[in-house]
Amino acid sequence: MIPVSVITGFLGSGKTTLLARLLRDPAMSRTAVIINEFGAIALDHDLIETSDESFVRLSNGCLCCNVRSDLMLTLGDLAVRRAAGTVPRFERVVIETTGLADPAPILHALMTDRDLCEVYALDGVVATVDAVTGLATFEHHVESLRQAAFADRIVLTKTDLPGARTTAIKQRLAKFNPGAPIFAVERGAIAPSALFDCGLYNAARKHTDVQTWLADASVAAAGGRAHHSHADKFTTFSIVRDEPLHAVTLALFVSALAENCGADLLRMKGIVHVAEEPLRPAVIHGVQHVYHAPVWLERWPSEDRRTRMVFIGAELRESWIRGLLDLIEAEVADETERCARKSATSHELSA
Amino acid sequence: MRVDDVGVRAFLADSLRLWRVAASVEAGKPPIVAVIRTQEGAIVWVERPSGQAMPFRWLVRSRGAGEAPGSPREEHPRACASLVTLLNTIRGLLRADHGSTARIAPAPPDE
Repeated sequence: MIPVSVITGFLGSGKTTLLARLLRDPAMSRTAVIINEFGAIALDHDLIETSDESFVRLSNGCLCCNVRSDLMLTLGDLAVRRAAGTVPRFERVVIETTGLADPAPILHALMTDRDLCEVYALDGVVATVDAVTGLATFEHHVESLRQAAFADRIVLTKTDLPGARTTAIKQRLAKFNPGAPIFAVERGAIAPSALFDCGLYNAARKHTDVQTWLADASVAAAGGRAHHSHADKFTTFSIVRDEPLHAVTLALFVSALAENCGADLLRMKGIVHVAEEPLRPAVIHGVQHVYHAPVWLERWPSEDRRTRMVFIGAELRESWIRGLLDLIEAEVADETERCARKSATSHELSA
Repeated sequence: MRVDDVGVRAFLADSLRLWRVAASVEAGKPPIVAVIRTQEGAIVWVERPSGQAMPFRWLVRSRGAGEAPGSPREEHPRACASLVTLLNTIRGLLRADHGSTARIAPAPPDE
């Protein structure tokens, strides 16, 4: 049986950072990874350095909404390819869910689908919780509570940042998932052995609500009622730019997003072609009003050198965000031209 | 590439909706690009300064709700160097509490 682990956690809570770090460990060398992103453009694949062909990206919807088709087909296909030797003989599967995923249908499928259960065994659920925004997110987004409640292991991220409420979050987590060990982790640095090989998933060990949610998922999977739709509550869109952005444009744009959108913008991430650094892209991340300084990759991860940014939020104003970038670009271009004209005039006068 | 006045007004109107501020945006007599009027009666004028004011790109004058014309905020404009500063200034004048101060977390160290 091939163990399957699920990494879940709310938008921007550090799932991709954790996974990227885990995959660098030699103990994870025989791992097939399935990444599911909520957004028109898949970026996480570019942010995790791997050349392994057993890397699958699902970007046409949320796993928990399309679990019967996408996840089962993907896992089934991986098993066939593994048996045929067309993918490396992986010994573990890790599924990274979207930040909005409800874990219940995913776990239900992994535990009950007859075909899948012949090959795969659910090993455990790892949930990431943001130590800075986690408490507020629990209040406003029930998805984050469900994700943490399902977890066998909880990874508390960003505990090194100012504003981290590590103790308060641990107390809150202890109320609805007392059995899950909590690891305070900085930048995804944790040994795989601490998170994986939990043994078969056992819903009975979890808080009572978890069993209820699993039962709900069972009903939904049987066609008893429609599963929820994220589209009702969240907006996602992407911005793609063929032309590089000036560094100052990027700085102003990120600053204005954080200052004006507040909690409406749940998550922003992007890979940016900065005009001043054409050979390496900047990776930007934002979670609500907290943004990281850009991380510069050593090189472009693919031939695609366009700027690609994904935005996820509740009541997001797409027109405002697009307009903001357009206007800042225009203003920076205008200023650049003005400085160039002034410089040329100065040279003429001095000559 | 100059920022188009119509585009600026549309963007400011969108910004007011983003901040949940009930107000209208209309054109003004040049150099005024936009006049913002809130339902409570406050007025904000956004101007493009002459070239002499560079590097400032925007000037903002305002009159509070119920305030008589000619107050210091109306006579002595605030200068803004960028659109982002302009947004912050207007948000402050309208006391729009939506949004928050940006916080930039430290980047992970190079591996």
